[in-house]
Amino acid sequence: MPKFKNLPRRLSQILFLVILGEFSFYGIFRCPFAVPYTDCGACPVVQCPGKKLWVGFWLLLPVTILLFGRGFCSWACPGGLFSDIVSKISLLKGKVSRGFEKIFSLMKYPVLAAAIVYVLVLNNPRWAIPIRTGEFFNSIKLTFEHADTLWLVRTAFILSGFLLIILIPHFWCRYLCPTGGMLELLKKVSFFKYRMTEACNQCNVCQKACPVETRPAEINCTNCADCKDACPVDAIKLKRGL
Amino acid sequence: MKKDTNIDRRAFLKASGIAVTGTLASPLISSAAGLKNQSLQVWSCGGLAEAMIPANQAFEKETGAKIAYTGAFAAALGKSLLGSATTEVFAPRVVDLAKKLKSEGKMLWFKPLCFTKYVLVTPKGNPARIQGIADLARPGVRVVLTPGASAPGGEASLIILDKAGVLEQARKNAVFNGDCVQTAMAELVKGTGDVAVMELRLTRIPDFQGRAEAIDIPEEFIPGKPVPFTIGMMKWAQNRELAEHYIEFILSEQGQACFERAGFIPALSDEGRRLTQKYGVIDA
Repeated sequence: MPKFKNLPRRLSQILFLVILGEFSFYGIFRCPFAVPYTDCGACPVVQCPGKKLWVGFWLLLPVTILLFGRGFCSWACPGGLFSDIVSKISLLKGKVSRGFEKIFSLMKYPVLAAAIVYVLVLNNPRWAIPIRTGEFFNSIKLTFEHADTLWLVRTAFILSGFLLIILIPHFWCRYLCPTGGMLELLKKVSFFKYRMTEACNQCNVCQKACPVETRPAEINCTNCADCKDACPVDAIKLKRGL
Repeated sequence: MKKDTNIDRRAFLKASGIAVTGTLASPLISSAAGLKNQSLQVWSCGGLAEAMIPANQAFEKETGAKIAYTGAFAAALGKSLLGSATTEVFAPRVVDLAKKLKSEGKMLWFKPLCFTKYVLVTPKGNPARIQGIADLARPGVRVVLTPGASAPGGEASLIILDKAGVLEQARKNAVFNGDCVQTAMAELVKGTGDVAVMELRLTRIPDFQGRAEAIDIPEEFIPGKPVPFTIGMMKWAQNRELAEHYIEFILSEQGQACFERAGFIPALSDEGRRLTQKYGVIDA
């Protein structure tokens, strides 16, 4: 019987898929605003579970940052789970150069900046006609049919980010996700984080075990803990303190 | 030719009794059994969603039928229906849309459903002491506008301000210019602004209930186009009996009460009948 890698993480992802999965889907396919997940209190889409979830989500997210840095990405985000699954078949797995990684990892910050400007300065404009309530697929069809070009561009941007996972594992999470960008910037303040101890022999087995192809506490590390058991010299530890 | 008249009186009375009872009980029978597990696709203007959802639930409970309901911007749904989309019952805003669908043979008939009411909305307690539409021109009054909101709903508020002769000053007083009436409403109730021209229905949405106050606007300033809503049978209605029964229910006292609770003027009411005549909501 095959051993299930990092079972607690998988169980957490499934639990959060149940809680946040539908909300994530609505954000991409039916949210009429420029930046989804941020104006749910005033959103006309009656069916979206975000109306009940968004306040709790935005209150809990800072807590997860303080405790586990980017842990939300690998333990709770439904997009992260989707990326985990599709990344299994990525064509360029283990072939992304460090230079490419460094440059492309910066792309999520302009996306984050644009999202902040749209939400805080431009009042998060509405780019699609909200299908307030309706059958699932029919509503998505109507949303696409009557959306502004800008909404189609933003949705195509998100979907392309996920589609490119077929080429590079976790393409969206590593390079484009604005929430990931925000968490990446703030993760330095987290209380718990995986780190390499002095016992590390630079064998890079951890990087091969990592779903986002990084090493503990380095760029894009989400504290997923997948690398912990892979280390041949037991040099990866969960450390406390800033 | 001699007819067979060999029917005994008792049997005749018994059969007649069953027939009469059956006829009288037929609506109940069709509700309980005939319509059970059948489904009906209903589209409406999104503004009606807060009324349609409880009305649909009541209908489903009464009949056992399933309503597949879509509520969205009526002009967009209308455009889809004028194209290749289909639905069985449609309740749009703007009478002209119903008439156009009918003239193209896509809607078979329609009836007046309800009317929206434009009011001045202030945060609870009316901190700026707004008394009438002229106050929107008063210096220092913070006005919330939605010039970018979907026509005709968003457009109507500007027409009202224009007709009242306060549009220019209200624009100068604007502290929020939005493209979504619900976002604007959220800003208003949290105190970003002092007043906005909105539909009464918005004050009844659960998120805003009890957090806003409404002040009447003289009817002479209200544009007629966005006020009436109709409900009509579409040519694609597969089960005409179910569709008719549904429309009858929506237009019944029980159905119309949902619209009144959601901030609309029911077509069934005296005021609704007056507005039906005023706005010519007639399927001619």
